[in-house]
Amino acid sequence: MKLMIFIHATVSSMRVRGLHACRDTAQAPDKSGLHFALGSFKMKLFNVAIMALLMTVAVSCREAHTSSSLGPRVVVVGFDGMDPRLCVRLMDEGKLPNLAKMRDAGGFKPLGTSIPPQSPVAWSNFITGANPGVHGIFDFVHRDPSRQCAPYYSAAETVEGDLGWEVEDFNVPLNFWPFNHQPTQTLLRREGTPFWDYLDEAGVNVHIYDIPANYPPSKSKHGHMCCLSGMGTPDLLGSLGGDSQFFGEGERSRTVAGGYIEPITFSGDKAKIRLLGPEHTFLQLPERVTIDVTVYRDIKQKSARLEWQGQTILLKEGEWSDWCRLDYELRMPPFMPASHAKGICRFYLQQVSDRFRLYVTPINIDPSDPAGQVISEPEDFITDISDALGLFYTTGFQEDHKALSNKIFADHEYHEQADYVLEERLTLFDYAKQTYDDGLLFFYFSSTDLQAHMFWWDSDKKHPIRSPEMAKKYHQVVEDLYQRMDGVVGQVLEEYGETATVLVMSDHGFSTFRRQFNLNTWLRQEGYILPADCKSILRVSGKGSVDWSRTTAYGLGLNGLYINLQGREKFGIVTRRKRDAMLEEIREKLLKVRDPEDGHLIVKEVYRTDEVYHGPMTGDAPDLIVGYYREYRASWSTSLGDISDVMVSDNTEAWSADHCMAADEVPGVVFSNKPILSAAPQLIDLAPTILQALQVSPPALMKGKIYLK
Amino acid sequence: MDTLGKILVDGALAAWWLYEAIIAVLMAGFSALNVVLDPVLSTVLRVLNPIANIAGDVVYGMVSVLSPAWGLVIISAITGVVMLFLFKYTSNQTAIVASKDAIKANLLALKLYKDELRVTFLSQWRLLLAIARLQWHMFKPVAIVIFPMLVGLSQMGIRYQWRALRSGEQAYVHMYLDEPLSHEVALEPVQGVSVEVPAMAGEQDYAWRIRATESGRFALKFLVDSEMIEKELVVGDKLERVSVERAGANWVTQLFHPIEPLLPSSSPVSRIEIKYPDRESWFYGSNYWVLTFFVISMLVALVLAPVFKVKF
Ligand SMILES: [Zn+2]
Repeated sequence: MKLMIFIHATVSSMRVRGLHACRDTAQAPDKSGLHFALGSFKMKLFNVAIMALLMTVAVSCREAHTSSSLGPRVVVVGFDGMDPRLCVRLMDEGKLPNLAKMRDAGGFKPLGTSIPPQSPVAWSNFITGANPGVHGIFDFVHRDPSRQCAPYYSAAETVEGDLGWEVEDFNVPLNFWPFNHQPTQTLLRREGTPFWDYLDEAGVNVHIYDIPANYPPSKSKHGHMCCLSGMGTPDLLGSLGGDSQFFGEGERSRTVAGGYIEPITFSGDKAKIRLLGPEHTFLQLPERVTIDVTVYRDIKQKSARLEWQGQTILLKEGEWSDWCRLDYELRMPPFMPASHAKGICRFYLQQVSDRFRLYVTPINIDPSDPAGQVISEPEDFITDISDALGLFYTTGFQEDHKALSNKIFADHEYHEQADYVLEERLTLFDYAKQTYDDGLLFFYFSSTDLQAHMFWWDSDKKHPIRSPEMAKKYHQVVEDLYQRMDGVVGQVLEEYGETATVLVMSDHGFSTFRRQFNLNTWLRQEGYILPADCKSILRVSGKGSVDWSRTTAYGLGLNGLYINLQGREKFGIVTRRKRDAMLEEIREKLLKVRDPEDGHLIVKEVYRTDEVYHGPMTGDAPDLIVGYYREYRASWSTSLGDISDVMVSDNTEAWSADHCMAADEVPGVVFSNKPILSAAPQLIDLAPTILQALQVSPPALMKGKIYLK
Repeated sequence: MDTLGKILVDGALAAWWLYEAIIAVLMAGFSALNVVLDPVLSTVLRVLNPIANIAGDVVYGMVSVLSPAWGLVIISAITGVVMLFLFKYTSNQTAIVASKDAIKANLLALKLYKDELRVTFLSQWRLLLAIARLQWHMFKPVAIVIFPMLVGLSQMGIRYQWRALRSGEQAYVHMYLDEPLSHEVALEPVQGVSVEVPAMAGEQDYAWRIRATESGRFALKFLVDSEMIEKELVVGDKLERVSVERAGANWVTQLFHPIEPLLPSSSPVSRIEIKYPDRESWFYGSNYWVLTFFVISMLVALVLAPVFKVKF
């Protein structure tokens, strides 16, 4: 574009000079000169005509771009986990003036969420305008019944590629004829058609930023859709949650959920650390590539110097670095050039004196050079953004809540890091608005979810790990965040309130997560899992293993309960005839389970998926979805099949709020600058409503109702 | 496939070995040449750089009313014209015309008498001679032009390759010494520049993290043991020349970093470097400016060569 402008400017100025030249010659007095003058007058006219034509074309193009052909506009701001109860309270207190303005004009309703109210499920409902029976995402974790109950991540799967050509210690894939080796690929498992496909087909522009449950990003068939993938996007190491690396003096080398903890040992004031990179899969014995970083410390002035690959940075204690580039070289046989994996990270020098501690963010895929990693559609969408904004988080989970859970971060450090994420996303949102003309603009904010998970506490009961004052102080962080987001909404209304349909929505609400329920412990206690000393449904041999020939039901994921069904599960024993009765029996029993601590009921709803799901994928779903009361959730251990001795216990994790409960315990919100007609809108209603607002008829498959005027 | 793999691996290893050997030979040749070249060129540049700096300031002062892009276009175009004239008056135009004519004549002869073997061989021999002669006549003006050209390019480089720090921006300063830890170093406070992280030693250097707080040209004052050494820092948002490095006598660094006086040879400091940001523009920014310059100056020379009756 810039090139075009430059060429245009040069051509115009050349033409102007051409005109001057003609005028000079035209002053020659003799006859031939007169003839020439007439000729040059014609030339002059010709030039003027061409210039006029060029200008008209240019102006009309510009006009066409800015006003006359502008189509309808819908701006959707998605706040993950924004809770209606808190919104209403803060609106009543006058703290959310912009959201309150929409409410007062009839544009607010709690939004019915998915069953279960987990983000991948809920966002898939939103994306497809359909229930999980259609899109096939039922939980964060699914199981493979052909391997009995082997768990896997629900939203994407990695398909191993061909081995390739064996040369020295390499397996070199030859992706050309006649070999046609297939590379290892990650595939999106979500079924159903995303609603933006209908917009793309109708020629409506679609700009989507950070939408969850869409990695790898779905393809645009007609070239009108661009999309940045969100939750579910891995880091450069291939980790979905993002694996940070922490180096501390006196640490023991270990892998934890969410990263790696390594010792750092100084000789004098110098040490070496090794930053892990991606797995080099072209090696016959795959290994992680690494980058060595030299660390110098100055205890007196509390600073450190880090050096790698010709780069140097200096940090003071307590400082975060800017984004830094890392170039992992993946060596190849000598006759081939090495390939490269490009990553970015930020260093956080937590402490120099006493005990040196250095935190490194997960190695994100470099947005300016993703080097073959597809994290946007089209692939250059992300590099264009990076040209304008520089480097930014590209992983699906950006707030490093695991560093807080692993006690690498203190509360205030997590808050600072999460706030940085928000700042970056706000800059991205500004970019999104600037580059948006018409059609759909969808922008997602994770802050309202991932700050709430760690800081939310609206219970009268004691916080398991914070004093009442600290619990209150940090819950205030969430309230402040809502106020800040209200400001964002205010800007959107100011910019688009008159010219677009504005929707502010969340996938679910929030609740304190105070007590955890081990579903598998309960199933064992009730005799559904045997033997009585079974410790895990994933343990198949030795002490504490499960006996599938006697086990009739098991729990997996945060809300799923499965019958060990004959003909479906590998070692299934329950016949289809007995299944119904067993489901009813379990449902009735679960609804009566009480917390031994105070006698409170734990389970509010038990949904039969053959009743609440409709669609071709229903057969893959759990048989029952367990919906908990507020303050209760499935225990950490039960979600991956572990059976603890205690059925109900305090949740002592830093992750102290959640939403994986009964759907009607944690509805989301929907606000609009237009009155909402429906009394009880649902997540699946949004897709047809958006299509309708963009003048595209929703397909008959979408069962949701249109609820805007 | 296994044999193919082995052949490819061995072939590649042999090619690498050859490549490295050639590089080593070239480097050794350059080093040997440099023993002779360095004292001469270093002295020449010591005289030439201050003049080039003044000329650069004057020229860029004149085009500073224009945008950086137009400044580059005009300077490239003028350079094209100057090169054309330099070529005209340093080359043997008659000899060039004669060689070109000889090439044409022999090509024609080859075409006309392609059946007569004797004439063909003779013409081929003469053609080779004519081409060699043309090359020789071209070599002289190129050899004369190349050095002033490099000096001119360096004046452009210090303006287009990097940009000055903006007020509020941070940068790293590196001071290279043989054994950093055996020297006491300090960066004196200057108004307009804050030192965020004081000197931290690495293997060969001390590094500082500084932040510019105002626009202007500043002299960073370093105390090395008891000796005071200055390094210029430029802060602003206009197209300004920046001196990335202050170094000792060495014609290559002198060529690329012409602005600041050479570090005394007695100093333990071998060079001081400021990591200025690259200038970002697809047209006149870092690295692109060289391309733009060559394309425009060549085009201008090609277009104007017939006008000024220059043959090449
Ligand atoms: Zn959540």
